Amino acid sequence: MDASYLDLLMAQQEEVTEAAGGGGGIWVVADVVNGTVAPVTLEALGAARTLADALGAYVYGVLLGEDVTDGSTELTTSLAQTLYQAGADGVRVADHPSLAQFALEPYLKVLSDLVEAEQPEVVIFGATAQGQELAPRLAQRTGGGLIEHVTAASLDETTRTVQATFPIYGGEYFEIAACSEARPQFLTVEPGAFPAPFLDPYRKGEPTTLDVEPVEPAVRVLGPAEGFEPPPVPLAQASMIVAAGRQAGGGSAELAEAFEMVKQLAAALGGQVAGDRGARDAGWIGPGQIVDVRGVTVAPQVYVAVGIRGDTFHNAAIEGAKFIVAIHPDPDAPIFQVADLCLEADPQEVLPALLEALS
Amino acid sequence: MRIIVLVGRVLDPSGIVVNRRRGRIFINREEYLVNPADRCALEAALRIKDATGAEVVALPRGPLPDDDVLRQALAAGADRAVYLTGDGFKGADDAVMARVLAAAVERLGGADLVLAGATTLDTRQGQLGPRLAEALGWPQIVGAWQVEATDGKVQAVLQAPTPRVGGDRVLAPGRRWGKTPPPRVGGDRHQPWSPLPPPPPPRVGGDRGGGYATVETDLPAVVTVLPGALKPRYPDGARLINIYRAEDAVERWDVADLVEADALKPLLERRGQDFPPERERGVRVSGTPEEMAQAVADALRQQVRG
Repeated sequence: MDASYLDLLMAQQEEVTEAAGGGGGIWVVADVVNGTVAPVTLEALGAARTLADALGAYVYGVLLGEDVTDGSTELTTSLAQTLYQAGADGVRVADHPSLAQFALEPYLKVLSDLVEAEQPEVVIFGATAQGQELAPRLAQRTGGGLIEHVTAASLDETTRTVQATFPIYGGEYFEIAACSEARPQFLTVEPGAFPAPFLDPYRKGEPTTLDVEPVEPAVRVLGPAEGFEPPPVPLAQASMIVAAGRQAGGGSAELAEAFEMVKQLAAALGGQVAGDRGARDAGWIGPGQIVDVRGVTVAPQVYVAVGIRGDTFHNAAIEGAKFIVAIHPDPDAPIFQVADLCLEADPQEVLPALLEALS
Repeated sequence: MRIIVLVGRVLDPSGIVVNRRRGRIFINREEYLVNPADRCALEAALRIKDATGAEVVALPRGPLPDDDVLRQALAAGADRAVYLTGDGFKGADDAVMARVLAAAVERLGGADLVLAGATTLDTRQGQLGPRLAEALGWPQIVGAWQVEATDGKVQAVLQAPTPRVGGDRVLAPGRRWGKTPPPRVGGDRHQPWSPLPPPPPPRVGGDRGGGYATVETDLPAVVTVLPGALKPRYPDGARLINIYRAEDAVERWDVADLVEADALKPLLERRGQDFPPERERGVRVSGTPEEMAQAVADALRQQVRG
């Protein structure tokens, strides 16, 4: 075997490790929601911990806000220590009234100063409203590359590059991208994509406080948008659909009541109500709500079929659905051949329990 | 007032089939759409044009092999469209585009408002708007439902973020400030590589609805518009035909005149594709109604997490 390749590789690696020396580390900018660290931040810390252990780097958490380290409030013994428990080796806290609510310019000022001073290798945000405003702007300011909505990350050790996976067309397939030269590498991680780390109560630390120069935010909040309603989403583009069929009432219950429960389920899931042709015949739904190749073809993330037997036309119309739950009393109903989760039961028995379990 | 709208194209997802087992993507029908969010941004610009008589200029949001989407923007009501082309421009990513577009805005003689779609349909990357705002040094509003621009100011309706420490300080008391965006449903393919985490606190439908705020900033500014925020108008048929007939309806600029050649080097590189595992259909759940309901509720939470 020709070992010269290995020599080259090792020389390369040493070079890279030296270049990365000083500062560096993986930084996670915390999202604070209702006075607690957002779950996505903990997940990001868990992911950062894994990457940092493989790289030989430290993980730092950044906490911005007001009163975040005030010992008198229980609130943040709490916030900074939670970051330590989730895997941070160091925590920087910026505590200033101008940071009490998220506003771009003050936050950006603190973070860009921090990035300039510490030269991190990787900076991770949650893919939340805050992260999606901050990360691209900070990346452009510091010349780093950004990959958004990351659902998995691996490491290219030779170049110390994070290879990040992100979904295409809502998860039809995934693209893997990497930022091999520009530093820092910015990522926003999708909530729920990484496992939440174990919060180790023995991990403790003393957070470092950052100086904050107040900056006036450029965007002013005028107040609640009175009377604004987002436009309705057409059924074909809805992401959650609860559909009723003839068997929604099972054998016994009043049909109208049965449909009422389907509507309640849709409300509880934040989805839209639809039905098959049988539901239309029963007068439960309008003509625009029939899921059928001759009616509306749908492609939701979740499709719940309550009492739908599932004829060919109906099943073809839900082919694009990413996850299908079917509830039907007949074990041989064709809907069970296309559903991901099949409940062989009377909908009238399951629905009340399901509403209970979701509340 | 001059409004710049960024329009891009995406491959129509209904024309592709993904074979998960073989890890291949089959393009059955190669047809391109104007990115839905960009269509909404264009609609927002045209509404401002209707109200104030502003000039609307369409620019590409990324490198384009042809100027179809720009012609469609012209047919829908834009006044000018500029097609960017040049050596080494083909692989431009959003960081490069921000630089190029900032130079293009300067060459146009400045602008008052830049509107762009908040995300693209395929990759869901939303970094172009904020990156351009940074390159221009302008304020930004990200994820608008409605946009209005009058005398030096732009107002937008946004979904209000969840309160941070200190709670409700900005909005009137009693108002629920703080709704998470509609469920970003990732589906079963977010989990395949890691053991499943414990189910998060219930999110399914629990905390949605309401919570919109009006924000305002001074022009010039960059505003990104959410897909589905506005109902885009159809292009005028006769206008569309005339625009396709007119060779010079779209201006052509060489990127080399805008930025240095080494500024065109993309920061990101594609390292391959990954495919979710095949779906396991027909998984039967048995037990008492309560147990079944619990299983369904857990599965739904898994699907709607985020």
